[in-house]
Amino acid sequence: MNYRTTVIIGAGQAGLAMSYELAARGIDHVVLERGQIANAWRQDRWDSLRLLTPNWQSRLPGGAYMGDDPDGFSSATDLAARLQGYAGEHKMPVETGIAVGSVVPGPAGYRVHTDAGALDCRNVVIATGACARPSLPALARELPRALPQFTTFDYKRASDLPKGGVLVVGGSATGLQLARELQRSGRQVILSVGEHVRAPRTYRGRDIQWWMDATGRMDDSYTAIDDIARVRRLPSFQLAGGADALDLNAVQSDGVEIVGRLAMIREGSALFSGGLRNHCALADLKLGRLLDGFDAWAEAEGIASALSPANRPSPTALVCEPRLSLRLGSGEIGSVLWATGFRPDHSFLDLPVFDRRGRLVHDGGIITGAPGLYAMGLPFMRRRKSTLIDGAGSDARDLAAHMLAQLTHAHAA
Amino acid sequence: MTTHGATPALDRPVPNGWPARAVRSLARAIGLGIPHAHPIPEKETPMNIQNDIQADNGVNVDALLGARDAISGMPEAGLFQWRATCEWQSGTHSRSTIGGFFGLGEEQPRNASFTIDADHPEQFAAGNAGATPVEIVLSALASCLAAGVASVAQNRGIQLRKVTAHVEGDMDMAGILGVDAEVRNGFNDIRVRFEIDADASDADIAAVVAQSQKRSAVFDIITNPSNVSVSVA
Repeated sequence: MNYRTTVIIGAGQAGLAMSYELAARGIDHVVLERGQIANAWRQDRWDSLRLLTPNWQSRLPGGAYMGDDPDGFSSATDLAARLQGYAGEHKMPVETGIAVGSVVPGPAGYRVHTDAGALDCRNVVIATGACARPSLPALARELPRALPQFTTFDYKRASDLPKGGVLVVGGSATGLQLARELQRSGRQVILSVGEHVRAPRTYRGRDIQWWMDATGRMDDSYTAIDDIARVRRLPSFQLAGGADALDLNAVQSDGVEIVGRLAMIREGSALFSGGLRNHCALADLKLGRLLDGFDAWAEAEGIASALSPANRPSPTALVCEPRLSLRLGSGEIGSVLWATGFRPDHSFLDLPVFDRRGRLVHDGGIITGAPGLYAMGLPFMRRRKSTLIDGAGSDARDLAAHMLAQLTHAHAA
Repeated sequence: MTTHGATPALDRPVPNGWPARAVRSLARAIGLGIPHAHPIPEKETPMNIQNDIQADNGVNVDALLGARDAISGMPEAGLFQWRATCEWQSGTHSRSTIGGFFGLGEEQPRNASFTIDADHPEQFAAGNAGATPVEIVLSALASCLAAGVASVAQNRGIQLRKVTAHVEGDMDMAGILGVDAEVRNGFNDIRVRFEIDADASDADIAAVVAQSQKRSAVFDIITNPSNVSVSVA
């Protein structure tokens, strides 16, 4: 039986950052990757996607951004190339084209079954990402069979969709980006929006991510957050990588029609919540508090006068009275696009590590009840930035240090 | 941080929420002490509010937060059933009686039952023995939101002095009278206008009102569809 001290599953930014930190500590390991390095970035995203974070912020351990466009936003292809280069530069032990079937208890700790045989190890790092599968509401199954449905994993470009209007469900970054893209392709888009988190691309002349980083919010620890379970479920900022503002006002000016949260499919109609105004009010108020905090920080740091004036985004305005229903068979829409979020896929873990909703139970990435098992890249796993490329390094450093301490302790005993 | 005196106010009624006795029995049933003080959730703490303000809106926030924690650990205790029994009186006059409910895993008696009369006004050739059912719906919405405002304000350390909600619902009678099949029976539009006198900024008051909608059962019932089944015994 082959043996490695540690098996990392997944060669995206999280798995590679972990490989870097393990190598720095002399921990023998292998990175197993089902496809190529940065596979999800190559395969599972749409063509127009740009990272939501500026290039300068994609700081990997031993791999700062060295390009000539630090304030630009990389495409998924560019990022994949960069990760490929990062793995090569540090001679990381990545084995591509190996799919993990299951992780089970084994004589050394765990046994990892792959399509190329089994591997025993002390530690497993799950670095398969928080966005491995589209997350669909149960009512997706209730749509008429004849109505084509797409997820963000099926969708690559507007021309993939049949002619006619599109119901886009989801008001976060993905939903707004794709609503705009589809509307601009000449299709009438109806965008269903529930609870959402509004954020401007820039504020007072600085990128939102600069603010989040400089004020220390990105480094907030999961241990300092009350009700971390709620915070981990929050939707993403409404953002696009690029100069254009992206919010409900902006997509409406492109002609997108906004409706409330999709609540039910009944008798061939989609029914939308009448609570849209409050969802918009909540997001505007929350945005106001975020920017108030930025202003207070800038004042305290003595840099407020060096920044542009504190011009606030206009409150969300609904251009027309939101409709409460849409007849799905009327021909008004030709397809539905679910932009209802992503979820991890940990189905390969044949271990008692899940809560009653099937979610991995962990304490900052250290999996509860399974010594030697670690996760990476989950929402607010150790820090607010845990899902960002910029968050992989510090989380990997913490978990690698924990792993080393456990190995040292076991050796001493 | 909200604090109460040495005697936790568990025997005070909790408006629009968890009957204090039920919360206490739940906490006892699952072996949890009800915390006397609870950290205010991060999202509910606007930056410019002093948490040491001793606000008292008559809401036992500690008990509510204790109930939240208890149900997080024992989800089935949170499954409730609310009921009303309605007796037709005469004409369009009916009287609903509201008594016990089910929750916390068992039947919960009430030491009082409540009655609500509903009727239609003289303009409908009726006896005007009570408010119309649709007005009762509007009043239920306002009551639920007002109770939410009080609870959220308490949790955020905001002292309320006066809260008034004016509710209006627009209805086209061509719907229920069957004049026009295109017109719905129910409200076309419902507006709630709050007047709130409190120790807080306009933005903080707006945030309290928004949060009360987010957590309001009646707001959800009105804004989202529900399946209703009606049978004859």
